[in-house]
Amino acid sequence: MSDAISVTGLVKTFGATRALDGLDLVVGTGEVHGFLGPNGAGKSTTIRILLGMLRADAGTARLLGGDPWADATELHRRLAYVPGDVTLWPHLSGGEVIDLLGRLRGGLDERRRAELLERFDLDPRKKSRAYSKGNRQKVALIAALASDAELLILDEPTTGLDPLMEEVFRETVREEQRRGNRTVLLSSHILAEVEELCDRVTIIKDGRTVESGTLAGLRHLSRTSIQADLAAPTDGLADLPGVHDLRAEGDRVWFDVDTAALDAVLRHLTDVGVRGLVSRPPTLEELFLRHYDRTGAGNGRHAGAAR
Amino acid sequence: MNPLTGTGHLVRLALRRERTIAPWWILLIVTLALAMVAYINRNMGTYELKLTYIGLIRSNAFLQGLGGGFVEPRLEVLATWRSGGFLYVASAFAAVMSVVRHTRGEEDAGRSELVRSAVVGRRAQLTAAMLVATGVSLFGGLVTAVVLIGIGLEPIGSLAYGAAITVAGWVFAGVAAVAAQLSRNARTATAVGLSALAVSYVLRYAGDASGQYWLKYPSPIGWSHLVQAYQDERWWMLGVSILAGAVLLAVAYQLLGRRDLGAGLLSERLGRARAPELRGPISLAWRLHRGLLVKWTAGVAFFTAAAAGLSPLGRDLLSRPSILADNIRNTLGVPADETLGAYSWYMILILAYAIALYPVLMTLRLREEEISGRAEAVQATPVTRLRWAAGHLVVTGLGTTALMAVAGLVFGTLYSVLVGDLATDMPRFLAGALGAVPAVWCVGAVCVLAYGLLPRASVAISWTVWILTAALGQVAGPLYGRWGGSPLEPLHYIPNAFAAAPLDAGPVVALLAVTAILLGGGLLALRRRDFG
Repeated sequence: MSDAISVTGLVKTFGATRALDGLDLVVGTGEVHGFLGPNGAGKSTTIRILLGMLRADAGTARLLGGDPWADATELHRRLAYVPGDVTLWPHLSGGEVIDLLGRLRGGLDERRRAELLERFDLDPRKKSRAYSKGNRQKVALIAALASDAELLILDEPTTGLDPLMEEVFRETVREEQRRGNRTVLLSSHILAEVEELCDRVTIIKDGRTVESGTLAGLRHLSRTSIQADLAAPTDGLADLPGVHDLRAEGDRVWFDVDTAALDAVLRHLTDVGVRGLVSRPPTLEELFLRHYDRTGAGNGRHAGAAR
Repeated sequence: MNPLTGTGHLVRLALRRERTIAPWWILLIVTLALAMVAYINRNMGTYELKLTYIGLIRSNAFLQGLGGGFVEPRLEVLATWRSGGFLYVASAFAAVMSVVRHTRGEEDAGRSELVRSAVVGRRAQLTAAMLVATGVSLFGGLVTAVVLIGIGLEPIGSLAYGAAITVAGWVFAGVAAVAAQLSRNARTATAVGLSALAVSYVLRYAGDASGQYWLKYPSPIGWSHLVQAYQDERWWMLGVSILAGAVLLAVAYQLLGRRDLGAGLLSERLGRARAPELRGPISLAWRLHRGLLVKWTAGVAFFTAAAAGLSPLGRDLLSRPSILADNIRNTLGVPADETLGAYSWYMILILAYAIALYPVLMTLRLREEEISGRAEAVQATPVTRLRWAAGHLVVTGLGTTALMAVAGLVFGTLYSVLVGDLATDMPRFLAGALGAVPAVWCVGAVCVLAYGLLPRASVAISWTVWILTAALGQVAGPLYGRWGGSPLEPLHYIPNAFAAAPLDAGPVVALLAVTAILLGGGLLALRRRDFG
């Protein structure tokens, strides 16, 4: 079994609220997987089921080949977790917490601990209650990264970090990626971070998976924006399949086109005669905004793209 | 901007948060005031009985200290003499907690920052906290006065009594306001405020017990006693309290103006960079809870020493015929020639009921760790949920045992030195105290079951369990001559180290078995339920 995480049809209800409603998530071993979705979409609930804190009402979840609820202890030996909202024991210093969590996980790499403290610029002697949100996050991140866990589960780990520290975080994850033996599940809202780090992403909304695949694959699903200066006005464009939001002003046209229809549309344009052409690939922002938008019904499509 | 801008909104916010707390304090105060009137009416209906009671009080420094001051054989005086010693402290205690909760507690949680960034004056939060805390004290005092007048006690005296309850809250609200400025976090502020309360109680108690009445004048709790409701109503003593509270508030305002948000005047020390000894759930639990245990040990040692120091008085009291002594002897099943033993056993029992609160509080901490998300961080490691809980429970169990042992050792030592014999009495006291451990564990185990099965309700259930245990138990029982020694609470079954009957292992084994079943059930439920 080569998937580090495989979740199908996961359902979890809290009273009348349906937090997860048939969620699917597959994370291959060794990949950095982005886990995205608007606030309240069910990311943290999924993660807490994967950690064995909550028990799913329906569906299956496999983690590193085991059952997250029944085999929690065995599995936790092999993973490290950074919660989204890091709370620490107010009387313990950051260094003490790192040592504690490291030891509970079965030991931590001393050299790496020192190196990470240095890189993240954290004073380990400060009491936890004196740390800012970002510094508390650093404590949890260092504890996780200094372990030799094969799976890292990071729940919005950089929301409190400054840009410099965020860059340190990215570097560290990239190093892990290069070593190739660690799988990372990264829940995040920072698109640049996802774009830079993640091999594949899963987007969820209202407890359901709406997209999953490589970033290239997801882009493929979107539309390209085109602005063209033509030799003559044309009116056949609007009838072509896959053309959206067409606007024309004299010889100039603006429209979006589905990737699948690109060939036919370009052929039509060249038949009329092209004097100038600007084409803009879909940005991740557009992709995400489409899914994050509560009113927009952009759901139900699975990219199923090749890894 | 006016430094008080926004106070009204903050008062409403604080009241919203107090509505689950303040009514209970007010109810407690009023109920206790009424209960004592009923108690005196029931047990000391006639003038002669009242006189006997007063004779008993006057001859006994312990009792004299408990209620404080000068007693007269009148219903009002006796009833408020009984309730006052407690009500002034209760009012002050509620005020300290409330002020710290709405000032430093808010700062700790980071909510003050959010609030102060809005159109809110610098002094608004402190002022709102003071208004709410004082409002609760005022309401408690006023309702008490009205109810007492309602049942036919003298109106002027009742108003004075209610006012004395209110001003105790006002002064200590001021103390807490200053403490909140000095300390860097809510825990320290509460500790400073309650220490001040403890010192002023001890001063007042010592003054009344020893007859050195001047000791009451430096004590704010003493000021409330000195109002002497139903006697000569010294209204000007109220003025002293009001003035002191105002001065404290002014000091707090000054300190507030001189410090940054989140900062205190007592500074924070750096911690250690490494933690070589933190290797598992038990060492973590010990590290987290040792502070609480140290405080409890100090408290238990202090009160045990105070109780044991009264052994000679106990000897005098119980060697005379009295209803109270007979009650105690009958309830505890102690032979008549063992009067001093009965007294000591009674004291050990009081301590056991108090110490039973320790495992209850420790179980509450389990829930606190869960809600805060800190337990989640631990359980995301190979540490199982059961091992995590077991770490806390081991510390709780051993801590409870240690507290009972301290009670037994301190009592035994002082008792031996004062009226007994070290070789025979010491082991008897230690054994007696340790004999209570299974029953005290059992109280905690009920809370663990509640925590496992009904996590959301567990805080309320835990408190109820302890209050019922103490109320149904053998301490409240003999005092009231009713409902005492209910077989529904575990401390009913602990072997009496002073009774003539031979020791019976049955109850101990049964208590341990029940404890094990409750713990097992609680842990099983914990393992099966959703966490967090």
